[in-house]
Amino acid sequence: MSAPDQILVDDQTLKFCPGETILDATRRAGCSLPTLCHDPRLEPVGACRSCLVEVKGQRRLMPACKTPASPGMQIETRNERVLRHQRVLLSLYLSDHVGDPSECEDGAPCELHALAKDLGNLPVLVPLQRKHKPRADRNPFIEFRSERCIACARCVRYCDEVEGVNAITLTGRGLHTTISTASGISLYDSTCELCGGCVDVCPTGAMAEKMPLSAGAAPERELEKVRTTCNYCGVGCQMDLNVDRAAAAGRGQVVKVTSPPAGTAPSDGNLCVKGRFAYDFIDHPDRLSTPLLRGADGNLHPASWEAALERTAAGLQEVAKKHGADALAFVSSARCTMEENYLVQKLSRAVFGTNNVHQCAAT
Amino acid sequence: MAGLVTTFGAGAMTNSIHEIREADFLFVIGSNTSEAHPIIAMEMKRAVRRGAKLVVADPRSIWMTTIADRHLPLKPGTDVWLLNAMAQVIIAEGLSDENFIAQSTEGYEALAERVANYTPEEAEKITGVAAADIRATARAYATTRKAGIYYTLGITEHTHGTDNVYALSNLVLLTGHLGSRSTGLNPLRGQNNVQGANDAGASPIFFPDYQSVGDPEIQAKYEAAWGCSLSSEPGLNLNQMMKVAGSKIRAFFIMGEDIVMSEPNVAVLEEGLNAMDFVVIQDIFLTETARFADVVLPAACFAEKDGTFTNSERRVQLVRKAVEPPGEARADWRILIDIARASGADWDYQSPADIYAELVHEAPNFAGISHERIDSEGIGLQWPCPTSDHPGTKFLHEGGVLRGKGLFQAVDYKPSVEIADSDYPLVLSTGRTLYHYNAATQTTRSAGLPEKQPEAFVELHRKDAGQRGISDGDLVEVLSRRGSLRCRAQVSRQVRRGCIWMPFHFADSRANLLTVDQGDAVTGTAEYKVCATEVRLLAAAAADDKTLFPGAFWGEPGGATSSAT
Repeated sequence: MSAPDQILVDDQTLKFCPGETILDATRRAGCSLPTLCHDPRLEPVGACRSCLVEVKGQRRLMPACKTPASPGMQIETRNERVLRHQRVLLSLYLSDHVGDPSECEDGAPCELHALAKDLGNLPVLVPLQRKHKPRADRNPFIEFRSERCIACARCVRYCDEVEGVNAITLTGRGLHTTISTASGISLYDSTCELCGGCVDVCPTGAMAEKMPLSAGAAPERELEKVRTTCNYCGVGCQMDLNVDRAAAAGRGQVVKVTSPPAGTAPSDGNLCVKGRFAYDFIDHPDRLSTPLLRGADGNLHPASWEAALERTAAGLQEVAKKHGADALAFVSSARCTMEENYLVQKLSRAVFGTNNVHQCAAT
Repeated sequence: MAGLVTTFGAGAMTNSIHEIREADFLFVIGSNTSEAHPIIAMEMKRAVRRGAKLVVADPRSIWMTTIADRHLPLKPGTDVWLLNAMAQVIIAEGLSDENFIAQSTEGYEALAERVANYTPEEAEKITGVAAADIRATARAYATTRKAGIYYTLGITEHTHGTDNVYALSNLVLLTGHLGSRSTGLNPLRGQNNVQGANDAGASPIFFPDYQSVGDPEIQAKYEAAWGCSLSSEPGLNLNQMMKVAGSKIRAFFIMGEDIVMSEPNVAVLEEGLNAMDFVVIQDIFLTETARFADVVLPAACFAEKDGTFTNSERRVQLVRKAVEPPGEARADWRILIDIARASGADWDYQSPADIYAELVHEAPNFAGISHERIDSEGIGLQWPCPTSDHPGTKFLHEGGVLRGKGLFQAVDYKPSVEIADSDYPLVLSTGRTLYHYNAATQTTRSAGLPEKQPEAFVELHRKDAGQRGISDGDLVEVLSRRGSLRCRAQVSRQVRRGCIWMPFHFADSRANLLTVDQGDAVTGTAEYKVCATEVRLLAAAAADDKTLFPGAFWGEPGGATSSAT
């Protein structure tokens, strides 16, 4: 074990890169260590203590997320001492948490209950039964459910280190530590930009998205996730549309947008207020659902596709015949797909014979 | 797009978004990054947190200026002065990369001669930016190896937008800050598929992959591929189309654009639209422009169809169908095939993947990309990607400038077409806010956003407001030579004295009734960022009707604009 870039984890030799922590090296090798406060986008703080491991030569268990790997380190991640620690720790968390795992699953899946289930045989402690005052916030997107909060501060650190607006903070002490805005004002009135990153990083569903909750959407485990590309700005964030297949008379309905894992190019799992929350337009009653033709009375009237296509082709051809192909202009769209832009320019050039094709984004 | 094609040989971000966090110097000009590109702003914030230096050049005090080392609050439209002065400093102080200039560029002598008179002291008089700040910025940019420039429509939406891009390219070529990680010149694209629409050839002068319409070889290639004869006559750009709508242009086919919201000087455009023989609108909502339509075709939105978008960093990414479109609405690609067939063409594509395969067949830079490959690799591919085993390109110009040699373009300052005068003393710039998107057909129909930002507003400097008896929340009229609108006033710490700012999202207060429609000589992009206006008080707000602050950022107390008061 003298190689300068190797550590021994549970009798397995792993390579590490300079600057990597024990957690980085083990995760890269595909070993799983439990974590609650960790997120690859955030500086490690070692607050939740769930990733503690035994390092030979160290008297105490060490947080894997914060301890740099060093050559020749010998690490035990699943011995009796570590497992005992994990069981006691999770029991302590659960004694101040929503007891029934299924209750936790209406929002995001609860990582705490999942870890407890994986580990099994947890000592049962007397529940603390703290009183939680529901906190109303008139913002329509984000709800804080303090009874689920384990004060891991992922949300607070994300708001500071990634989004950079410091809208939320840890407040209170000891057992009463919780999340709040400055002076408890609404997120609407704070520096919050409503990116929803706090909801995304929360391991227990304490930071929850209001809309699907209030709309009575199916629980997350029944939703189908479809990975796609955001349709707003040019960053092209990857996002998962959460589809309730049975909703909207069987057409399916997007009831929530969630982030892909951190590290997913190009947006590293981040989204902004529009990407995460501005999806209601998809199912808006104003959506056009049938072709419309201008009638002799000057109004638009519903029509069949056949009639609309015929009128479209005839109208364009008539003008081309009367005034030449260059009297036609095709305005394509930077909002539509590559394929559709290709077809518009081909339609313009090959079918109607003019290069008058453009869109608003040629700057 | 055209500017960078001329100087570097490719019109796209030189670097990847992920590289921004590793930059050591960021020069952000004409980009309200935290509101228009929040995710790119996150990368910049991360870089600054790491210790990178950030300089923001923007007439307004914006969120990014709060974490900037330096804010250069230039007067709207004076970018060429600022950038030429930076070039002058770099040359005069011997900070340029002489090896790079000698080996990889052409046109240096003309540039050096042209910028010699653009001293920072003279620049200060025109731009309002202190000479010392210009010097310090030029020095820091030239002497930091990982230095990136980031710009958006504050650079391009001018009658001299292409000149602005040339002036930025000159800085890059002078310092050789090109062709490595985190180092380059990066236009941040404002819409999901700006890059892709241009890549796909929705352009009056280019076939897909920027292959020129006027080139006989290219024309022959496409005639063979498509089995028809093609016009070699370049078409009209959007700005030109709008000006001859109803006269030379008699019929419009418009897909997914709300032109009476988004185009400048819309009162004139609407007259033109009234005179059209035939207008087809294909959209997901009944847009403002649909008032002029003879035919309206119901389309599917991004969640209801398959396809690809190409993002700012040239990454082709999949759009996947998640739900069915409402009623009889159809995907745009399907409608386009239907129109072609109704017009006598025998188009036969089974899927967007088919269409994409045809697109790349004649487009060498995208030839290695396919729907299947993106799907199986689980991540979008960045062009150039010429072959199916090519990994894609993270940053451009690595093995030398794509054009062969980077081209210096000496440019002179040209004033904006309309400058403030005694009748219209306030300079209006328009822009996007965090909570809405362009014509806002989608964001005003999404819960929560209209509550946060329900209506249009105009930002005024405290003194300009005071002179006119205007206070926060008052109903005002904003007038230009082309039109007027009503909205609420926002007495703001963000704008300079003599400048006002408005979002362009709101159909009830269309900022584009005011804007000028003169376009850039090369791209046709209109001057949305500068026009002369006046603001008048109509009605004071009731004491209990002071609406909440609607924006994302109040302005920095003691920041660059407020310290001038």
